[in-house]
Amino acid sequence: MRPDPKKLLEWIKPSPPTKEERECMKLLQPGDYEIYTEKLNNFLLESKEIFIKLGVSSMLRSGDVVTGIYTPTGDMVAAWCGTYLHAVVGQLPIKFVAETWLDEPTVGCKDGDIFYASDPLYGGIHNCDQIVIMPVFNDGELIAWTNAAVHQPETGACEPGGMPLTAKTRHDEGMLLSPIKIGENFRLREDLVEMCVNLMSRAPRMQAIDMRARLSAADRLRQRIVSLAQEKGNDFVKGLFRRIVIEAEEGTRRRIKEWNDGTYRAVTFMDIVGEKHKLVRNFLTLHKKGDQIIWDFTGTSPETDSPQHCMPHALAANIAIHLMSYSFNDLPVSAGVLAPMEFIVPEGCMFNPHFEAAQSNSAPSCHGGMTLGTICMSKLMFDSPQRELVAAATGNTGVGVLVSGVNQWGVLIADFLAYGLNSEGHGARSDMDGVDAFGFSHCPTGRTPDIEDIEIEYQFLNLLAKLNKDSCGFGKNRGGAGTEIVHIVNYVPYALYNSHVKGSKIRNCMGLFGGYPPSTLPGIEVFHTNIWEKMKRGDKDLPSSAMQLISERTIKGDYKIDSIFQKTHVMENGDLWVVFSGGGGGYGDALERDPEMVMDDLRREIISHWTAENIYHVAYNSETLEADVEKTEQLRQQEREDRKARGTTWAEFEKEWSQLRPPEDILDYYGSWPDGKKTREIIRL
Amino acid sequence: MGTKRQITEYLDIDLEKELWCCNRCGYELISARENYKKGCSIYIRKDLATIYNSPLKGPFTFAPDPTWAMLVEFYCPACGTMFENEMLPPGHPVTHDIELDIDKLKEKHLSASTNKK
Ligand SMILES: [Zn+2]
Repeated sequence: MRPDPKKLLEWIKPSPPTKEERECMKLLQPGDYEIYTEKLNNFLLESKEIFIKLGVSSMLRSGDVVTGIYTPTGDMVAAWCGTYLHAVVGQLPIKFVAETWLDEPTVGCKDGDIFYASDPLYGGIHNCDQIVIMPVFNDGELIAWTNAAVHQPETGACEPGGMPLTAKTRHDEGMLLSPIKIGENFRLREDLVEMCVNLMSRAPRMQAIDMRARLSAADRLRQRIVSLAQEKGNDFVKGLFRRIVIEAEEGTRRRIKEWNDGTYRAVTFMDIVGEKHKLVRNFLTLHKKGDQIIWDFTGTSPETDSPQHCMPHALAANIAIHLMSYSFNDLPVSAGVLAPMEFIVPEGCMFNPHFEAAQSNSAPSCHGGMTLGTICMSKLMFDSPQRELVAAATGNTGVGVLVSGVNQWGVLIADFLAYGLNSEGHGARSDMDGVDAFGFSHCPTGRTPDIEDIEIEYQFLNLLAKLNKDSCGFGKNRGGAGTEIVHIVNYVPYALYNSHVKGSKIRNCMGLFGGYPPSTLPGIEVFHTNIWEKMKRGDKDLPSSAMQLISERTIKGDYKIDSIFQKTHVMENGDLWVVFSGGGGGYGDALERDPEMVMDDLRREIISHWTAENIYHVAYNSETLEADVEKTEQLRQQEREDRKARGTTWAEFEKEWSQLRPPEDILDYYGSWPDGKKTREIIRL
Repeated sequence: MGTKRQITEYLDIDLEKELWCCNRCGYELISARENYKKGCSIYIRKDLATIYNSPLKGPFTFAPDPTWAMLVEFYCPACGTMFENEMLPPGHPVTHDIELDIDKLKEKHLSASTNKK
């Protein structure tokens, strides 16, 4: 009964229009498409606002959510994004319900029913992402589906926080819900809600409230569509929906057709497997021919006994974030955009593992794939009318910082500290710098939670929160800066903390056309501090940046400089740690950056003087920050000469390069070197 | 020259000559049917602290671990512009990142009389 991965992948694309839908499309008068598409967007906006206002967990409150509208067969018509990936995979459990439960006598589907799902094997991303689905009936006819989805930061897994690094199989990952009917007559069934809440015993309140928030959002959307159908008729609604999907598909194909036929490749590397620092490779070969794009991930490292996997449909949904927010951002957020895309994801690679594999870290495991998508699409789009959409990769560190325990109000929590998560740097673009602290790599509209709010709700004091100097990828246009925040355990004796942040060894974010990738991110923790004494005394030497914290060490304690990636461990009252979010990739040769912009970066503390001098080769007065343009040109010309002097020919390069190899012990999970082919079987218990 | 198409920020393809050229200085690199990187001046940056300044020393800093990663930089042999770079584990093959259908490109931009061989 469970759909196989091929079917799930196929389901992300729209089904062909039915004869009836084609007839219904004729009901649209001139102007109707424009007016009613906008009306749907307003419905979505309203449902999103309701969602955010009613929920409690931090990603929900940050707006890392989706609400969506789907055809009766489950094709995405429109969505509030939010999390584009959830809009795309939102189709799959609907298609499963439509195909499996609709005519099943013991389940069925009627007005007021509520379905609920979280299992990636039935179309989700990872089991943290809980989706509510509602059928939309008008005059007894099923005319649409609505949904609302958001990541729930607790799943009842073997570790708190829903994304256990130690998970070896899906059986370590807590609640995995195949699509079930969880309510009738517009009400949740309390016995089933209790089942979910009971499974989330580390954070029951969050589960209980957020389930209702999802339902309220999906139901408001349902009510609006019913009223639209009552006003305009069911056939009009069906025609409108299909027209939106077709417009998106036709617009996408038209644009692809204009681009240069060819093959584009990119490779990136991830530095974590399970709870260890190990090297794995993600590889993309993108073929563009005519009006079609083929995404071939052959060459990606094999599956492992870790939770860093995703299914092919989840990879495709993460790729869609780029497609819908850059390349086709002006087209409707609908399944039509995915119609011209084919995905080749070999069985047994980390993007297509055995069904027993753990995949609770699915979303962060896709960051490499997302980088590859942005880079290949940018190389494809440069010689096209879409040049302004060409960009280096977004930070893609996936700043998953998970805390749990009892907060200062005596309430059990297990949640993200979502500041870093929603403040990664954006990739530099062909015509401008990347946006600083732009948002969440899966959700461009995500906002960092208010610092005071974090302190009111959670057992942490935030010593500082700001842009992280020198975190951007340098270039003619620089990447957006990432951020830094220092959390201190407050009010309570201890809290649990783990971090899924990648990029202490090598970053999976790439620059473009000579722009540099951004810096790596170390982990900084200080135990047994004297922070409260200092605050009580009113000491004025508290650090105002992470750099100052570690270089001046005015806060006494046991400093630990390690990986930013951390297993679950105890932090006691007064212990503190730094969370960095990654900057975005740079664009173009740093020697072409306008010296005035470099001065501006200095003024805004985006870069250091060291970087201005050594990377940008700008001559300037360090007091007044006035650039000497003439001298700068001389310095830059000298650097160009130095490059030519130190550069070698391809043959000389190959001779030296082919002799090098990374240390054997980091290649345990890589697959064969260097092509990442499967070298062993994974036996899962 | 009317037969050049700008393919990246720094690289043109001369359609008639079928050559990759530097967009900044015009230097002719290599056949457009080859990986342009083979026509570049190439530098292996082994010490990444020369790009990522870090007051931290030891295995975890603001620069990638040198045993995990090196930067391969591709320069114009004539004007020294950096066309591209790749952060790779030591010895990992360089990527053939752009392989255009040159015949299609010529068909699209050159007059109908210019036929492919
Ligand atoms: Zn040149």
